Amino acid sequence: MAQYFADIYETVSSVLKGMQITIKHIYRKPVTLQYPDERQVMPERYRGFVHNDMTKCDSCNICAKLCPVDCIYIEAEGKAKERMMTRYAIDYNKCIWCSLCTENCHTGSITMSHDYDHSVYDRKTLVYEFMDPADGLIPCHRATRVDMGWWVEEKKEKPKPKPPVEEKPAAEAAPAPEATPEAAPEAASETAPEVAPETDKPSDDKGAE
Amino acid sequence: MEALIALILKMPGTGDMSAQALHITAASTMAVLMFTVMALCAIVFTLMERKVAGFIQSRFGPMRTGRWHGWAQAVADMLKILGKEDIIPAEADKNLFTFAPILVLLGSLLAWVAIPWAPGFVAADLDLGLFYIFAVSSLVIIGVLMAGWASNNKWALYGAARGAAQMISYEIPLALATIPVIMYTGSLNTQDIVIAQQGGILNWFIFRDIFVFIAFWMYFIASIAETNRGPFDMPETESELVAGYHIEYTGMRFAFFFLAEYANLFLVSLIAVFVFLGGWWAPLPLLDFMPPALTFIIKGVMMVFLNMWVRWTLPRVRVDQLMHLCWKVMIPISLLCVVGSGILQMTTGQLN
Repeated sequence: MAQYFADIYETVSSVLKGMQITIKHIYRKPVTLQYPDERQVMPERYRGFVHNDMTKCDSCNICAKLCPVDCIYIEAEGKAKERMMTRYAIDYNKCIWCSLCTENCHTGSITMSHDYDHSVYDRKTLVYEFMDPADGLIPCHRATRVDMGWWVEEKKEKPKPKPPVEEKPAAEAAPAPEATPEAAPEAASETAPEVAPETDKPSDDKGAE
Repeated sequence: MEALIALILKMPGTGDMSAQALHITAASTMAVLMFTVMALCAIVFTLMERKVAGFIQSRFGPMRTGRWHGWAQAVADMLKILGKEDIIPAEADKNLFTFAPILVLLGSLLAWVAIPWAPGFVAADLDLGLFYIFAVSSLVIIGVLMAGWASNNKWALYGAARGAAQMISYEIPLALATIPVIMYTGSLNTQDIVIAQQGGILNWFIFRDIFVFIAFWMYFIASIAETNRGPFDMPETESELVAGYHIEYTGMRFAFFFLAEYANLFLVSLIAVFVFLGGWWAPLPLLDFMPPALTFIIKGVMMVFLNMWVRWTLPRVRVDQLMHLCWKVMIPISLLCVVGSGILQMTTGQLN
């Protein structure tokens, strides 16, 4: 009999406790983010959709070569100074967001953006074309880029080029007019530059698409 | 009804109407009014339910339909449900299947007749008003059982059987809890019950004595079980019976069940208000300027809120726990309240 009343007391008190908690939640600000209107601020190093800044890209192909799933398509035509990029596309069906491409981009053109909501109805539309050949091709060679007024990677002032390693006198080492005068010949663009990664890595172009 | 007839007589061109014509006009006006209120409360309370549920769970609820805080969500849902295909299962008992939702709706609609909205403003001023309300509410049980049986679906049948068992059981504490009040008033007339509570919050029956206070909570718990809501939604248990007795219903027929559910919710809240919480009387003298019907409805909506608050707080009980609660706890306590309140009224000389 005592148990009976103890049970009733326990039920009533625990119900009241629960009701107290829920009424507090009514006055609490909802945690919901009204998604399309307000968005979560992504962490700085969030790996969203890969974005390539075409004004910086010089079609060096490093990203395409490093890509473990071969999702970056770069096509170019011409040789040496006339080499022009005709296509830069990323197939997000394949992309695994490993960020290998961005870590090794010597111009800092390819970055992981903070975009994540690109749902599509058709898989084919997940192949993003970053340039339209009709708008003009993009020069790949540094000298040509400088001549045509494209962005080129700034050279760091090296204390002294190492004497024992004799690099071939670069034929293409045209002095960059707007960059600092550089005595050191430019390394072939195919090799990964040993300079430190760019400090001005663009992180503010997430809404560029 | 008399108040309504007087109102009609004040209108131009109604002076020469016969008594019969006046009565029919008043009755049909009242019927239309009742049905509108009932249909409206389904729409308003679905939205309210979702909003309350949302805020209790620290989210917003519907936010986008109708631009401003999703106010049009319930309207959109209703329109959608009207556009749905009306399916009658091939193996179902067709006549029972079509009749069941109407019976459920009828059960809740009939009870609205005796609700005292304002002084003199009640569709049928019955001497046995409260008894009538509890009597016609039982029609819902038949409708639920009929729906579950006719669907020819085992989950629907389980749900209906549970629903019938639960609703029949909980009608006992529901009615028993109102008996102390009836002993105070000496009348089952709904108007009389409200009039007896005149004069501030302390004259409401809930605060008359401790036994009526307990009886009010007995009534409240039983009313939750009667409306198949909250922790007692055994007939619908989504996790076990998918949707219970209305599993096979679509479109308009489902809307009838839905309408009846929310009409019932408002109905039991209004009964709680006029039996225990002073009906149309304002709690404090400074609130007397409010129209009585508005006071009544506001109190009713607050009771509905209490119902929703309970529903979104407590987890569902088991069937045996449900029956245990009804037969072994609530009925003894309700009887104790009747006896205790009776003794108290006799000693203070208030018994009618």
